[in-house]
Amino acid sequence: MPRYAKLSDNNLSLADSLINSYEVHLGKKKKELKSLVTELEDKGYEYRFVRSLSLLLDRRSSFLCNSKVDPVDLRRKIFQATEQLGLPTTFDNRQKIIANVASSVSLSTKEVEENFYSDLDGELVLEKFSSPSSIELLSAYNLGLTQTLLFEASELYFTTSGNWQNIFYAIKKFGLIYEVYEENKIWVKIDGPASIFKLNRRYGINIAKILPVILDNSEWIIKAKVLWKFTNEVCDFKIESQTHSSLLKKQYSTHITYDSSVEEAFASQFQALNSGWVLKREPEPLPAGKQVIIPDFTLEKAGIKIYLEIVGFWTEEYLQRKIAKLRQIKTQMLLLVNQTLACEKLSRLKNNSEFDLIYYRDKIPLAPILRYLETKFEEVKSKELQTLKELPIRFTESIVDFDEFASRIGVSKEAARTFLTENLPSDYVAMADVLVSKAKLVQIDNKIKEALIPKGNLALTEAARIIEKEGLDDSANVLVALNYKIKWRGINSEQAEISKIH
Amino acid sequence: MTGLTGHNRLSIMLHLHFDKGTLLLKGQVGTPYGKWDPRVECYRIKAHHYRDVLDYLHQSKQQIRDDVAELPPLEQFQGSIKLRDYQAEAADKWHKAGNRGVLVLPTAAGKTFIALKAIQKLKVQTLIVVPTLDLIDQWRRRIKENLNVEAGVVGGGEKNLRMVTVATYDSACIHAEKLGNKFMLIIFDEVHHLASTGYMQIAEMYIAPYRMGLTATYERTDQRESLLPQLIGDLVYSVDIKDLAGEHLSPYTYEKIAVELTPPEQEAYNSQIEIFKKFLQERRISLRSAADFQKFIMTTGRDPKAREALLARNKAMKVALNSEAKLAVLAKQLEFYNNEKIIIFTLYNDLVYRISHRFLVPAITHHTPRKERREILSNFESGAYPVVVTSQVLDEGVDVPDASVGVILGGTGSNREYVQRLGRLLRKKDEKLARLIEIISKETMEVATSRRRHRKIGGNS
Repeated sequence: MPRYAKLSDNNLSLADSLINSYEVHLGKKKKELKSLVTELEDKGYEYRFVRSLSLLLDRRSSFLCNSKVDPVDLRRKIFQATEQLGLPTTFDNRQKIIANVASSVSLSTKEVEENFYSDLDGELVLEKFSSPSSIELLSAYNLGLTQTLLFEASELYFTTSGNWQNIFYAIKKFGLIYEVYEENKIWVKIDGPASIFKLNRRYGINIAKILPVILDNSEWIIKAKVLWKFTNEVCDFKIESQTHSSLLKKQYSTHITYDSSVEEAFASQFQALNSGWVLKREPEPLPAGKQVIIPDFTLEKAGIKIYLEIVGFWTEEYLQRKIAKLRQIKTQMLLLVNQTLACEKLSRLKNNSEFDLIYYRDKIPLAPILRYLETKFEEVKSKELQTLKELPIRFTESIVDFDEFASRIGVSKEAARTFLTENLPSDYVAMADVLVSKAKLVQIDNKIKEALIPKGNLALTEAARIIEKEGLDDSANVLVALNYKIKWRGINSEQAEISKIH
Repeated sequence: MTGLTGHNRLSIMLHLHFDKGTLLLKGQVGTPYGKWDPRVECYRIKAHHYRDVLDYLHQSKQQIRDDVAELPPLEQFQGSIKLRDYQAEAADKWHKAGNRGVLVLPTAAGKTFIALKAIQKLKVQTLIVVPTLDLIDQWRRRIKENLNVEAGVVGGGEKNLRMVTVATYDSACIHAEKLGNKFMLIIFDEVHHLASTGYMQIAEMYIAPYRMGLTATYERTDQRESLLPQLIGDLVYSVDIKDLAGEHLSPYTYEKIAVELTPPEQEAYNSQIEIFKKFLQERRISLRSAADFQKFIMTTGRDPKAREALLARNKAMKVALNSEAKLAVLAKQLEFYNNEKIIIFTLYNDLVYRISHRFLVPAITHHTPRKERREILSNFESGAYPVVVTSQVLDEGVDVPDASVGVILGGTGSNREYVQRLGRLLRKKDEKLARLIEIISKETMEVATSRRRHRKIGGNS
């Protein structure tokens, strides 16, 4: 486990004083700045820690040579003078050469000495510095520490709450290979092509590059196998957002983003339709064998889920492979294909009409998508109804919840409702979201009647309390089913009363 | 069923292609070189088995579609390269070993020419892998001079591929996924580097069936050179420095000058080294080998006492290295050899710049801008600059034109370093005697370092 820098007062104040050192050294030489950093090392802080923080700050700095003369030219003149006047093995001879050069470039001897090596690293001057906060600096340190460890990693495993599109884009970009598996959550394993031959550090650097993209999420668990440099032992490494997210705050920039302007435009247009379909961007990836499909959207209505993906540049072979993958996972997915981005002639595409594809030219068309969704909705529903009809269904419980029933059987809520209300068992009554047995209703009716007896009527709130106590929250529908009527006195339900209709 | 149609037969044909530094074999046939990769559901093979896989499939009378190689266009070479006897013998042994293997020749024995001759003879796309950017420049010049084609370069910010391309080990390794199928011959200059864990992958991820390794120092302290034969072929030719000295290389003399520290320096040295020694005694640590020292260095990261001891040791070493007395001796040597070309080596950049500053002579370290470095080297070659002072940058392989005197101030005590620094001086020119002078501090640890460095080579002093 790397020794993370905690966000302790001690560390934060070290970070602050380092940042401050850089700020006050604007316009001064790098070696002066660095000697101040060395002083901090000697004040009891671990020197590696101080040095790493300083290196991170160097990356936010720009150091320049601000010499009046080009030091390379000046040196050339000095070396040429040495050649002409002879190698100075005495101090006097040396001064003669310097004086000679000084007069030829119209500088003082002091300026010649100062500019002799003014382009060396330590002589450069801090011109610009963009200050981070102390927390940002410590986070960057912790990220760097983790990445350094991952340089030695042979493989990485992670699960996360989102940002899938960018993560898989990065995996591809860095030439890595992934496999997907499910263990309560969707896990992804990353390594590289040659990993199959032996445990291999080669991909460590690229694995480390993906880390910030994974961390750019609210929840994550990351595990890695790390080959210990000296002994080649395999060590397990694990961090998760629950315990580590404060140490590894979101970084300044991750540099890997997927262009998603087309997706964004579509999402906002679709949402403006208020179609009843709930659109979600970048849902969880769908495992397809060991590979994965990351759909752009899910569209959900009454428990029926349809995936949708916008296809960028494509070839027929690409579409065929994609469709084969989709068949494997038996999921409803609609592909929106831009004809102008085809990488081959359109005439070859006609045969594809059997698949769930919508071609378009300029703008993603909403009407055919809605038509598709409604057709699919009916299709899925009727298929599910068929399944339900073939099942032997008998209830023993007094209350049957549609939601619970739907998920138990594995159908949409919509199909469950339609099926249960259309094939109502004779001893049950259908409410909005549940079926209730007639016996249960009689039991409730008796309890209400008991409360009614003294006065002949009862406060609505009291009746609702009795019904809820019996496990039903839809009191209004229950009362209607039991032949009660509600007398309203104004709009306040506290004053409403019920009585039996005879 | 009527048997296979022509179309079906095509569809079962094997397909071999390059995938990010490996080969993928699609079809229903495996090979003893490959491994089933369930992630992509076909056989995956290390790229360096390219020729073996083809042989196996041909022997098995399997038709394959081979899409592996993507080679840069061929170019015409011009000019002829004449090899010396021992160079021709080395080249011959390499060809006979199936155009594979390692050649060991001392620095300045003309390894480059053997390689260029092989490229000229085989006329295939070639990658030359070198340890430093300096060597890229040097090879590029040599290729232009001897083959009359421009070389491609990968490394130091450049990336252009040509029939003959030069790359650093780092670039060849980082870009193996993209470059691995672009060359048929690969030449490793200073091949002992290849045996490190990271660089070894270069050999594995490139398809080139023809391979040549060149070095003056085949053995490594970690003995990993034993991994080289399976990657590039056996050691096919080796000639000792002593066999060539005098005949093809300049004979040289070696001289060691021990200098006493000035009294204040000696005092500073003693007080620092005492801290270091005391720490070792208290902790009962003995530092007998480089590995012991490496272990000790590692503990300094977390143990402030150990770090203090290390810093004290470094301060003591610096006092010895930077000794005024040594600089005075250096001044005398510079005076004495003032008609010669002199190159001064030292370990620390600080000292390089101090010498440059004191004697107003050009310095080369890894901070020196490339353009300036080239200018200094060419002026040194022409004689315009008679003296150059440098740290380890020039250590390996880069030719420094006919320096006749070398002065060593300090060093790490490694054998290889010594051989290569020495080699820098061995340019045969006008029957001149090359000199190597080492200036060390008396009564310090440096004496032990110098002895260790000298143990193996034993020059003809």
